[in-house]
Amino acid sequence: MINYHNFIERSITGALSFLKESVFADQYAAKKGFLQSLDPRIKTITFMVFIVLIIFTKDIRVLFFMYALCLLLGSISKINLWFFLRRSWIFIPLFSIFIAIPALFNIVTPGETLVALKIFGIKLTITRQGFFGASLFVARVVTSVSFAVLLTLTTKHFELLKVLRIFKIPQIFVMTLGMCYRYIFLFVEIVSSTYLAVKSRVGSRIHYRTGQHLAAWNIAALWQRSYRLNEDVYNAMLSRGYRGESFALNDFRTKTKDWLWVCLVVIISAGVSYFNYG
Amino acid sequence: MHIPDGYLGPATCGFFYAVMLPLWTIASRIVKKNLSAKQVPILAIGASFSFVIMMFNVPIPGGTTGHAVGGVLVAILLGPWAASIAITVALVIQALVFGDGGITAIGANCFNMAFVLPFAGYYIYKAISHKSPVDSNRRVIAAGIAGWAALAIAAAFAGFEFGIQPLFYKTATGQTLYCPYGLSVALPAMLGEHLLVFGWVEAIVTALVIKYLQKQSPELLEERRKDR
Repeated sequence: MINYHNFIERSITGALSFLKESVFADQYAAKKGFLQSLDPRIKTITFMVFIVLIIFTKDIRVLFFMYALCLLLGSISKINLWFFLRRSWIFIPLFSIFIAIPALFNIVTPGETLVALKIFGIKLTITRQGFFGASLFVARVVTSVSFAVLLTLTTKHFELLKVLRIFKIPQIFVMTLGMCYRYIFLFVEIVSSTYLAVKSRVGSRIHYRTGQHLAAWNIAALWQRSYRLNEDVYNAMLSRGYRGESFALNDFRTKTKDWLWVCLVVIISAGVSYFNYG
Repeated sequence: MHIPDGYLGPATCGFFYAVMLPLWTIASRIVKKNLSAKQVPILAIGASFSFVIMMFNVPIPGGTTGHAVGGVLVAILLGPWAASIAITVALVIQALVFGDGGITAIGANCFNMAFVLPFAGYYIYKAISHKSPVDSNRRVIAAGIAGWAALAIAAAFAGFEFGIQPLFYKTATGQTLYCPYGLSVALPAMLGEHLLVFGWVEAIVTALVIKYLQKQSPELLEERRKDR
């Protein structure tokens, strides 16, 4: 059984679940579903349009419509509904519900009384403004997080980072992004093996002060190893032809389907905007 | 401290993107000018490092665990401008690929964690350590104070961003549209937890890592880059 209060086991579990989730996500991105078949550039831009629309939306019915659209897109993209709900609801939406609860009451949001309660002898009222404000807040967070998760699940991570080039961001960011993504997995594996080695040598019961030293020393050791890695990476770059400027292959191709999808997104966006401001 | 989508209104998100754009441009110009070609991979390695720091669980009294953000540590090791790029990259990957932090809030998150945190931390560290030797205890203490204080400053900015939402976005009937808590709640809540809990984790980790590097690799703490 995993003791989640133990920092060694927690670090190992965290690192392993990170690697497992990434592999799972890549499996979904490789499926032959609707969203997977779209050009990643078009898909990313249209999903960003959806998220911006959600941020501007002031009507909860529009948010429900957008959430239903998100679930529909997920199902035609062969995403397991249970996996998707678990992935999108944990942790941000659940945390948002938790922090929205006090905002229901008149002590935070004064207004018209919706429900009067007596908790431990204290009179509290849920106000109309508090209820609708908190509902709108949670619905907005859930819908925007779901769209972001759907984008991530249906696009290969590496392609998603490559898409950023269309925004003409400085080259140093583009290069760093691509390289950084690869090293994250190497470093996560180092974290996992380091803690596994510590666990096998000292067990799991360590005083918290010793534990703090241990964690800090491992971070420092990781930096030392990383710094040494720098020269090897640079030599590898030189051997692949790096001469101070980086070039990336552009293998994205738009199809008729992508443009039809753009038309559909324009229609949906116009409808949502009309409903919001019309 | 990662702000998700839906907590901040569109004008706040737009404002922080507008603030960060020139800062990212300046950072890339300074780093490109001052980093030698050989040191280019260190930015990516620094970004991965700042991403992975959060996976090191640190035990805290009471049987639970916390994790450091590492922004000040990366700033001490790489310099503030390079740290700003490295943390930005880590935050973009977190938001876009791993769903941690909102896409519309990338500007605000980068302002708090890739600008305020490394710059405040780096200059507090510089001011306290002054010209003390690389292996001095003063540097360890300076790193700890910088980690604690910079995290609190960044948290105060995040609390402020949350707290101004009800001022800007409220219907005529008093219904809030985004983060429902005003400054009187959001600011003390963010500051309190970071001053009393997370700030200490940050301070301990930053100080102990510097102490370890003083013993094992003091050359990594020496100043070489011109962007400092």
